[in-house]
Amino acid sequence: MAKDYVMPKLAMAMNEGTIAKWVVEDGAHISQGEILMVVETEKVTYDLESPETGHFHIIVGEGETVPVETVIGQFAQDEAELAKLQGESDTGAEPPSVETAEAAATPMPQVDAGAAIPEGRIKASPLARKMAHDRGIDLALVPGTGPGGRVVKRDVLKAEETGVAKQAATAFSGHAAPGVMVEKGRIPIKGARATIGKRMVDNLSTMAQVSHMSEIDITKLMAVRRGYLAKEKELGTRVSLNAFFIKALEVAVRHVPIANASIVGDEIIIWENVNVGFAVAMPGPTEWDSSLIVPVIKNVEQKGLLQIDREMRDLVARARGSELAPEDLSDATITVSSTAGFAPGWAISTPIVNAPQTIIVQPGTALERPVVVDGEIVIRTVLPFSLTFDHRIMDGEPLGRFYTRLHQCIEDPSMMLL
Amino acid sequence: MAEQYDVTIIGAGPGGYVAAIRAAQLGLRACVVEKDEPGGVCLNWGCIPSKSLIHQAEQFESLKEMEAVGVQVDRESLDYAKVQTRSRQAVKALTGGVSGLLKKNKVDLIKGTATIAARGVVKIDGSKEIKSKNIIIATGSKSMTVPGFECDEKQVLSSDGILAMTELPSSLIILGAGAIGCEFAFVMNAFGVKVTLVEMVEHILPTEDFEVAKVLDQSFKKHGIEVLAGYLAKSLKKAADGVTVVVESEKTGERELKADKALVVFGRIPITDGIGLDKVGVETDKRGYIPVGDYCETNVKGIFAIGDVTATPALAHVASKEGEIAVEHIAGHRPATRNVDPDLVPSAIYCEPQVAGVGLREDQAKSDGVKYKKSVFPYRGAGKTVAVGKTDGLVKVLTDPDTGELLGAHIVGHNATELIHELLLAKSSELLPEDIADMIHAHPTISEALMETLRGVDGKPIHM
Repeated sequence: MAKDYVMPKLAMAMNEGTIAKWVVEDGAHISQGEILMVVETEKVTYDLESPETGHFHIIVGEGETVPVETVIGQFAQDEAELAKLQGESDTGAEPPSVETAEAAATPMPQVDAGAAIPEGRIKASPLARKMAHDRGIDLALVPGTGPGGRVVKRDVLKAEETGVAKQAATAFSGHAAPGVMVEKGRIPIKGARATIGKRMVDNLSTMAQVSHMSEIDITKLMAVRRGYLAKEKELGTRVSLNAFFIKALEVAVRHVPIANASIVGDEIIIWENVNVGFAVAMPGPTEWDSSLIVPVIKNVEQKGLLQIDREMRDLVARARGSELAPEDLSDATITVSSTAGFAPGWAISTPIVNAPQTIIVQPGTALERPVVVDGEIVIRTVLPFSLTFDHRIMDGEPLGRFYTRLHQCIEDPSMMLL
Repeated sequence: MAEQYDVTIIGAGPGGYVAAIRAAQLGLRACVVEKDEPGGVCLNWGCIPSKSLIHQAEQFESLKEMEAVGVQVDRESLDYAKVQTRSRQAVKALTGGVSGLLKKNKVDLIKGTATIAARGVVKIDGSKEIKSKNIIIATGSKSMTVPGFECDEKQVLSSDGILAMTELPSSLIILGAGAIGCEFAFVMNAFGVKVTLVEMVEHILPTEDFEVAKVLDQSFKKHGIEVLAGYLAKSLKKAADGVTVVVESEKTGERELKADKALVVFGRIPITDGIGLDKVGVETDKRGYIPVGDYCETNVKGIFAIGDVTATPALAHVASKEGEIAVEHIAGHRPATRNVDPDLVPSAIYCEPQVAGVGLREDQAKSDGVKYKKSVFPYRGAGKTVAVGKTDGLVKVLTDPDTGELLGAHIVGHNATELIHELLLAKSSELLPEDIADMIHAHPTISEALMETLRGVDGKPIHM
């Protein structure tokens, strides 16, 4: 009996997944445990192993996004069964192929720039192909109005006129004429890029975000850290500043629990566990390939600095290796997003709270500055520090108490012992 | 109670009868009103009878080739009346065929003269009334008459007159070297009539590519036709022994031509009088054509005009296509195009050598400032033409130097009217020169000349 293979639900929050790649070809034999496919969710891309051994028949093609539990392939026990499966999907089960979609279309398709472009072979006249090539126009993006939906000369001219469908700049050679817009690159807004964009806009448009900026004198913190660094071998890690910040957040949250809350429906839920998300930049080969990911250290209230630091390093390493699992990215209750390292000098910012959290903090780059201490100007290490909170959940007074405690803990780590 | 139709078509020519049949196929209740025989000028007094004459002229002329291999031929025994009879037989067979097709498709063929009485109302012979949701005017065209050159169909003939003629004149002056003039020049000359062909414009076939027309001009001269291009006909006098025509050229001044008869084929004008256009407010332009918009609809909703009454090329195949477009629109379908694209209409002239063309001509390109690249290949370069003795001719294509688009294609030579369709298909499908150049063409064929011409676009024909 053939076995269905469905889009797995990899996290509680996962509703749909995109088949980024089938590692096997249609009909190929695969053993249990071999990599079968690459799935892209909103948050992460990762490899999935085959749960079965057999001939694998692909039902849903690469690039398709389907709800979880959708049958996307089938395992056949032998070739006879495979042939049967392949025959079946040719006659019905499969989404219509390009050919059948064309047959079903009206003789003259509507001229509609927004019309869906069929996948697969692009029907275009030889002249249209040549003109599109010469002009750097991507034929796949040009709606065809010729016989049977074929892309013809007038369609290419229209596409050129309206400026859609320009291919990436690599298609060009030579220098651009003055006044001509030449593209450097093209990024499909999908996957992580789409998720980041959508989340950011949603966050800004649904919350009442208030930002707060200040400086924290971290001379003492630096001294404590230097002490830890001196014991690096003993501790087994170079405790990072971020680990201190994460711990400080947890202490401040314990002091002001409303800072660790979410709006769910018409209620505000205050969380017992303090799960701290921390932003990790994911640089790509070019700046337009870069991305952002926010792994989560769970139950910080139960963890000491060392464990926090170790977990953080592990998550960062796995993030950079695209090995994070959905559970590594879920259920943060508060976030820290440090700009140290890429915002040199004194800088403050207005970070965006990640729903359904209440607070995001953004430490900057620590630097030495003249500070007045006991009536004297002295050199101290100062950290620019920004914070945004959702005013729907908490008001200024509790925020003030939260920030004061946070400030104290960062300024003087001994406060964290209280 | 008056009859109710979805569409009434006035005129059963190649536009009207095709529209009627297509309408019926699409489920419309259709009738077509015709005062004469179905088939229109094309079938009765144009394309079809002339093609019969041309075919017989070609056969007659090919006897010369037989004489060259020793066959004794009695050319004097030609009975032109019998030639005419065969021509009329072909017409009769086809008009019967059209009537049969109309009947088979349940189109009512109403004999009579139709006038539009009001929107949606057509009167037959001024009395019987037909109600029709849509009306298509397909009344066609007639020969243009010019004062001083009126036809009596005895000494001064129109195309109708020469198609009815049962006796050959000894000499004939043809005024007008368009398609009709050139075809009759060929026919009459082949049957031994001394022909003088007069054209006002600087070259014969003024609507064809100059280089192509020149080949025909030379062929005509080689076969004994006197061609006077650039001559304006000033006067025509009839006498008992024939006609005298005075022609004038800017270069050489006046000349007096004498012949048994004259054929006057200056062109054709639309028939729009007496249809009742004024009753419903259908406009005509100053030349008498009915302006139409998308789907051949006139300025009055529900009234359409197709074929020679509109300003599109006066060709049967244009009329037929316009008829189809109009009725498909009426039937709520979406025709492939809203109008006939003049750049995709082939022209065809059936003398020997034949002339056919589509799209841009070189003179047009020059006057419109269109950039083009030209490739010409002589018929002689294709072995087949030498074998069959049809070396007069050439194939010419104009392409866009940047994109390679086929802008125009022109052929003069044996079978040109059939050969043009390969290039027409290439143009309409937006094929590139290499698509044809790289396609294997059977050897030996004249079609190889087309392949070579397209190879020549990139400068690499084999046989030149």
